[in-house]
Amino acid sequence: MKRVDADVVYALTERGSAELSSGRTALSSTELSVLVLLDGKSTVGQIRARAGALTVEVVDKALERLLRSGHILPAVDVTSDHIDAGNFFSASVSEADAAAATLKANGFFVKFAQRAAQSRKLAAGQKILALVVEDDPQLAKLVRTYFQMDGMETRLAGNREEINACLRQLPKPDVILLDVVLPDVDGFDVLARLRQHEAVKDIPVIMMTAKATREAVLKGLERGAAGYLTKPFHIDTLLTAVKTVLGLAGGGPPKPK
Amino acid sequence: MNPLEELHAEYRRELPAKVQAISQLWTTRQMKELQRALHTLAGSAGTFGMPEVSAAAREAEDYLEACGPALDAAQQAGFQRLFEAICSQAGAP
Repeated sequence: MKRVDADVVYALTERGSAELSSGRTALSSTELSVLVLLDGKSTVGQIRARAGALTVEVVDKALERLLRSGHILPAVDVTSDHIDAGNFFSASVSEADAAAATLKANGFFVKFAQRAAQSRKLAAGQKILALVVEDDPQLAKLVRTYFQMDGMETRLAGNREEINACLRQLPKPDVILLDVVLPDVDGFDVLARLRQHEAVKDIPVIMMTAKATREAVLKGLERGAAGYLTKPFHIDTLLTAVKTVLGLAGGGPPKPK
Repeated sequence: MNPLEELHAEYRRELPAKVQAISQLWTTRQMKELQRALHTLAGSAGTFGMPEVSAAAREAEDYLEACGPALDAAQQAGFQRLFEAICSQAGAP
């Protein structure tokens, strides 16, 4: 297989941007991670270096798929005389700092949720139960009220003890909405523990947070989040995301043919 | 008024108290709590239909993050301006 050229710079197309902002996506976690890493300035070589646990082969395959599907395109012609290649290729001491700054820069707003592998239809009278982990009581109440209006049930938790208490209750929630900045626990740590716990590891988790950096989104994906919604968000988008990860009608998108 | 509109109205009513609480944290230099309160406001205000408040709070949060735990005189003045922008957007005194 021909390797992806390390010197090429890719950027998101309109479709690629929409994939990260519509509240639903058919892309895999790997493809989403690569989309999040693409900033329209970094070369493939730099993206590979920042991809953490993803191998070069995995990153390259994801890039090829994204290119074929029209989610990304080459951002610039780096062989052009008009490009200052030094910006891209110089191995200066500050390059790692610049990469870290790019990943940590606030203001990277996304709204996506991965479609469930299988569609699901609720039986008559059956209700979806959502665990909403949110320490802002007004926001938690807003989500609960909106979900109730759509026929869903909710449990609310605002700290570690309440999360544990809610998870001990039966029935288990169908979906978990998880804030990151909580008073006594980090939401990413909660996510990692959820993914390791046999009883709850298959419950889809949507991160719902004001942590709006590429680094934070990647962390969520790496730890197994099925979706990531940066605050502020439209409450409709949250509902779309929930339905998407559960494979319910009203989520989406349809399975690619 | 439907339940969602009521919650939005309640948030708007309580916003000045939230800003006042942030002011108190700033006055007493409780920096960690201050940053956290700004983070919460940045996350919630936009969802309740006030994106300008959200943006101003996020800018102030980012500023504190960049400054680190101890602000020098110029940084304090810089933060004060950002805090006043939040007050202005929130309609708080």
